[in-house]
Amino acid sequence: MVDISKLIEVRGHARGGQGMVTAFEILAKIFSYRYNYEVQAFPFFGVERTGAPIQAYLRISPETILTRNYIYEPHLIIIFDEGLIEQTPVFDGLTKEGTLLINSNKPPEYFKGKAKHIYTIPATDISVENKLGSKTLPIVNAAMVGAMLKILGADIGEAMEIIKDEVPAKPDANAASAETAFRQVKEFTDEHYQPAQNGQSPPAGKEPNWEVPFWDQPMSINKTGNWRVVAPKYEDLEAPCTDNCPAGTNVRKFVKLASEGMFKEAYETIYEHNPFPAICGRVCPHFCQQNCNRIFLDDKVNIGAIERFIGDKNGQYQHKPEPVQYKEKIAVVGSGPAGLTAALRLRKLGYEVTVYEALPKAGGMMRSGIPAFRLPPYVLDKEIEKIQHQGVEVITEKRVTIDELDGKYSAIITAVGSHIGSNLRIGSNEQVIDGIEFLRKLNISGNQEQIKAGDSVAVIGGGNTAIDVARTVLRLGGKPTIYYRRTRQEMPAIAEEVEEAMKEGVPIQFLTAPVGLEEKNGRYELIIQKMELGEPDESGRRRPVPVEGSEYSVMTDKLIKAIGQWPDPFVFSGNEIEARQGRLDEKLAGSKTPVFCAGDMAWGGTVVEAIGSGNDVAGEVDAFLREKEWEKPEKAKEIATHDKINYRYYLPTPGNPTPVTTPENFVNNFAEVAGGLPEDVIIEEAGRCLHCGECFSCGNCLNYCPDAAIFIDDDYRLRIDYDYCKGCGICVRECPCAAIQYDEKNRLSEEKEPKELHQK
Amino acid sequence: MLQFDTTEIEKTPRADLLTRHTKKVLKGNSAAAIAAKLSRVSLVTAYPITPQTSIIEEIADMISKGEFDAEIVNMESEHSVFAALIGASLTGERVFTATSGQGLFYAHEVLHAIAHMRLPVVACNVGRPSFPWNIWADQTDSISQRDTGWVQFYCESSQEVLDTVIQSYRLAEKHKLPVMVVLDAFYMSHTSENVYIPDQKMVDEFCPPREKTDDQINLKHPKAFGGLVGPDIYDKYNRLHWESICKVEKETNQLGHEFDEAFGRKYAAVEAVNINEKTKKILVTMSSITTTARQVVSRHPEVGLLKIRLFRPFPKESVLKVLDTVSDDCLIINIDRNFPGETEGAMMQEMKRALHGVPNKIFGVFAGLGGRDVSSKTIENILEVDFRAPGAEQVIWVT
Amino acid sequence: MGLKDKVMIPENEFLITEESIHGGALSCRGCGWTLLARYVSNVMGPETVYVVPACCFSIIAGPNPMNLLKGTVVHTVFAAAAATATGVRRALDRQGKIDANVVVLAGDGGTFDIGLQALSGAAARQENIIFICNNNAAYMNTGVQSSTGTPVGARTTTDPQGKKLPAKNLMGIIEAHHIPYSATASPAFLTDFKTKLQKARDATGFRFLMVDGPCPPGHKHDPDRSIELARLAVETNYFPLFETENGRFNITYTPNVKTPVSEYMKHQGRFSNVMREKSGNGLETIQHQVDQNWEHLLNKQTSN
Repeated sequence: MVDISKLIEVRGHARGGQGMVTAFEILAKIFSYRYNYEVQAFPFFGVERTGAPIQAYLRISPETILTRNYIYEPHLIIIFDEGLIEQTPVFDGLTKEGTLLINSNKPPEYFKGKAKHIYTIPATDISVENKLGSKTLPIVNAAMVGAMLKILGADIGEAMEIIKDEVPAKPDANAASAETAFRQVKEFTDEHYQPAQNGQSPPAGKEPNWEVPFWDQPMSINKTGNWRVVAPKYEDLEAPCTDNCPAGTNVRKFVKLASEGMFKEAYETIYEHNPFPAICGRVCPHFCQQNCNRIFLDDKVNIGAIERFIGDKNGQYQHKPEPVQYKEKIAVVGSGPAGLTAALRLRKLGYEVTVYEALPKAGGMMRSGIPAFRLPPYVLDKEIEKIQHQGVEVITEKRVTIDELDGKYSAIITAVGSHIGSNLRIGSNEQVIDGIEFLRKLNISGNQEQIKAGDSVAVIGGGNTAIDVARTVLRLGGKPTIYYRRTRQEMPAIAEEVEEAMKEGVPIQFLTAPVGLEEKNGRYELIIQKMELGEPDESGRRRPVPVEGSEYSVMTDKLIKAIGQWPDPFVFSGNEIEARQGRLDEKLAGSKTPVFCAGDMAWGGTVVEAIGSGNDVAGEVDAFLREKEWEKPEKAKEIATHDKINYRYYLPTPGNPTPVTTPENFVNNFAEVAGGLPEDVIIEEAGRCLHCGECFSCGNCLNYCPDAAIFIDDDYRLRIDYDYCKGCGICVRECPCAAIQYDEKNRLSEEKEPKELHQK
Repeated sequence: MLQFDTTEIEKTPRADLLTRHTKKVLKGNSAAAIAAKLSRVSLVTAYPITPQTSIIEEIADMISKGEFDAEIVNMESEHSVFAALIGASLTGERVFTATSGQGLFYAHEVLHAIAHMRLPVVACNVGRPSFPWNIWADQTDSISQRDTGWVQFYCESSQEVLDTVIQSYRLAEKHKLPVMVVLDAFYMSHTSENVYIPDQKMVDEFCPPREKTDDQINLKHPKAFGGLVGPDIYDKYNRLHWESICKVEKETNQLGHEFDEAFGRKYAAVEAVNINEKTKKILVTMSSITTTARQVVSRHPEVGLLKIRLFRPFPKESVLKVLDTVSDDCLIINIDRNFPGETEGAMMQEMKRALHGVPNKIFGVFAGLGGRDVSSKTIENILEVDFRAPGAEQVIWVT
Repeated sequence: MGLKDKVMIPENEFLITEESIHGGALSCRGCGWTLLARYVSNVMGPETVYVVPACCFSIIAGPNPMNLLKGTVVHTVFAAAAATATGVRRALDRQGKIDANVVVLAGDGGTFDIGLQALSGAAARQENIIFICNNNAAYMNTGVQSSTGTPVGARTTTDPQGKKLPAKNLMGIIEAHHIPYSATASPAFLTDFKTKLQKARDATGFRFLMVDGPCPPGHKHDPDRSIELARLAVETNYFPLFETENGRFNITYTPNVKTPVSEYMKHQGRFSNVMREKSGNGLETIQHQVDQNWEHLLNKQTSN
């Protein structure tokens, strides 16, 4: 505690805006009104700017004070901002027995050697807790008053009223802050303290060079970087498109490359994660696109079309087969997207891989479940051939079980997909056609007998299979009607496909469910019940609830179900095994060879999810074989979500939708419906990318920095000059794409390298 | 010591230089305007105010006729008149303006700025007082600017106005100080009298063009002029200013000597007439009153005359030198045509300051304020005052 | 065409590559003054004399021994910036340096109030100078006192309850001088600002720019909002962007959607009294005035 039986001289160091001058006035009033002391509180009246270092002085004395000058040899030094220690000579002149109070979270011992008596108080934390000031500048004065009262041996209770009266706003929060600080002051006394220097005298001052008061030194000798309380820094965030790609594709990157016409590089970027860009460009639901931040401006970037364009150029690019470098051999069961992706990854890592396919052609569900008018077979063939060209062996028409493969391979990956349709609660297998099987037959053999021209066909379901089935029926000359128990909004099918089906003339009866089926004269009477939407279920979609007494009947020639699929248990020799991503339990799989599982049978239901699954399982198998720990690549923590995007800077530009042809005559017309976009349009469309989370050198930061603290370095990158950045935050707020963040940990964020560059 | 004759008022050029002068009958205001032209002033700012107006009118006229190569800018106020001179003078031009009374008061702020920016501005002030409205001779306006840091000369004749303006540019530019040349309203501003106008070549030789120096605006070497100066250096600028001010008196005398050599007319900081060991009374005067006082002094052998030409900085050394020979009982009577809101006139204050420790008694007379005529009778009256009488006032008013 | 050009609005294209001010300005965080100085100096070039009357910029521009600008700066008295600039201009002209720019950088006090006489004088003389007012709408250098540029409703230390009367129509006064070029500009609309600076630079005679000046401590907002608020001032028609070029009036930016002024005002503590009034009378009046003014400008444009 400071002895106040005689004159005490206090010098304070703070930043403009922290409230130090008010704090000293409050203390003066407390000592005058409550203790009848003589007091003087005064600032160094200078160029006060928010954040700039300032000084103030306080004298309290039981006797008349006979001095009015600044204080050079204080008994007590108060530091309102720890950051000032390195920036200004705050300790100068402190007397040998002097006391130091620092606003710091650190224990007082940390500052050993600076004074004999050292106190610390976490005034910033206390003030922030009491919501005083802002993140960029907490107003710490009340807490500092509390701490000083403690050091000066005053009574906090008696001071309360004065504190409340004197603070400009929030009297209770300030009082609470002072009280907390009074109790939390930590003390340390260093009996062996020796001051480094004795006293400080008024500065001698500079000599003018000329009689005329002019000067020409650059302002840059005044380093305003020490005003900073928070520091901005360039730090990319993950874009929602990339973040939402189940395959892990760096979507933002390939779109950017495409916008620059660098299609080869774009192709390579996609291929790193996804060997099926031409396919995905056509059939993927494009979670990237669905989560595109541009939706909040005008319309999503048509990433699908871009991907398709890049994929379709694949004929121009060659992949070199990698040499086999490991003795371990790997079997993959199923040549769908998951199986082929996993096979390619492992092959490229240096394993010999064999893929077993039950059907005559590779491709899995891509081959069997997607009609040609959405995915022409040649597109599929080309991308699969590329995989084979890279050394993956594919054996078709070989339906295998794990038991057959056991012992012959070092690892087995099962990726057989979900090819068994779920059953309706009505009708028999003879009465109800399985949609997935219907599509498979047609796709593999090129013909079918079930649907005849002129048939009316009821299609039950709301997924992609239902839509594909209905559109296929249309092309077989039938008259499809889709019955779906919820509304269009809840339909799991790709929205564009639904749109297309409707455009082609497929009626969809929403909020309907079949509840009964009767054969009548070789036709079916289908009883339909109307539904309404109730509470949301686990999937988040609103649950359909039957409307009692709403049943009605329709006559139909054929009934096709498309309400979900299940994996075929054949691979596990008929054992119903709950398949899940990654290595299966040894006992469960019932084999000596480790069994891994991927694709639709494990999770997902789209090509892209299967690709992601294939990537993961390949990683896991490799890790297992190389006896390494495997962890799924971590997702980025911070995403450049739409609330972080500054839309004002983006020019609203209409998107370029995928051109779709609605044929005049559907019958036997399996030509691809969706078309590609020409190169110039693709470049234009890719140019609509907002570059979420990644600096694209737009220069807003440079433009708007009031302190000329942004510069372009030798590599044409935008950089922050921390010598001058005051931390105003304009660059953070005005960055259109959320590529500048506050550096919470390091407010003085120093990057030595750019400064040197800057001097060049 | 520089002793002048009573008749020296005529200021006729030395015979050998007579042919290089043109004799003209001119008003004081005209003399000021011609002096500006002869000094090759390049930029003049103007705003009318009685009784100064004809100075800028004549300048405007000469410029419009192509006789005077300068810019004249009609400003919107005297404040702007002087503020514009800051810019022009900093840019390196030789600048001039003239004002009077209210105008000078209005420009007060800028006068400080000019002086402390160390700009060699020369301006004429035709003295007139402040409120209530009055346009006649009075020095209160310029006297109240004595602390602005300007050098002040008070002139007695049209010839002196012309000569002093020319000398002022030499002084101003050498020491980086602004100079105010004061002439009395009407008694000088509007009084036509003989003036010998030197030929341009003589003036050019005496007062060469303003030098380009590094403390002026140079677009190729950008600088900042006059920004914020902190406590650590402000007084150092004041000290430099003070050092220059300290040189002015000596410089004025030196310039007067040089001017005499070149033009054949003598000038100094002060002028002493009939001051010697026998002098019983000395009248201390400035401006037009001096001329009338010369006449009175010529009738009174025991009375001397001390004309203060350089008022700011006050020529203490010269005054002491003049009074060096006088006896201790010689009375010093200051005639002040100004009212500085003090118990004493400005000149009396300055003289008391200068004569600190000198045994002679000092008295003050307020005379001629607001243009009240100061005739030889007025001055005789002053001489008749028995300042030694018991109970006599130290400061009196005469009418 | 870079990535930026494909996707961004053209309004903020003004990239400063040759920085014409030094770092280290003595301005508060988020200050509009230094921003303005960057743009102005970039367009004007180094052979420019800046005349600065008393205002925040007289500090920001550099106390002894520093100069913020890579150009000449002449600090002058509060009331007569345009007069000092006149002197500099005429002197430069005499020296044949007619291409050098003379630019006054003044605050609203030095423009609307104490500086108006000299400003009007210089404008009426068609003095060949550029007068730029950073209008932060109060005496900020002295700690936020009302000027006649302070808008109605804004709280200042001399109008603690909010100013009762609207700001002076300075642009109207300026226009009445029939000068070759006058304009308003915003630090948020850089392309517009740059064009106007160039037009001002390239015209001859008296030229005037009034630039909206964000001031976090004076307007009481977080420093990072300076640009956003400047933009909102324009988008809400609170600070419309227009120019008068040789007598021809032209609105240079028309907001696409009408944004209520409350969007601009609500983030600023200076308008807290207006925003707090539940009845919304004050706010409605301000909105009405803003609408009327905009209507007036539109009519003016039509009658061109």
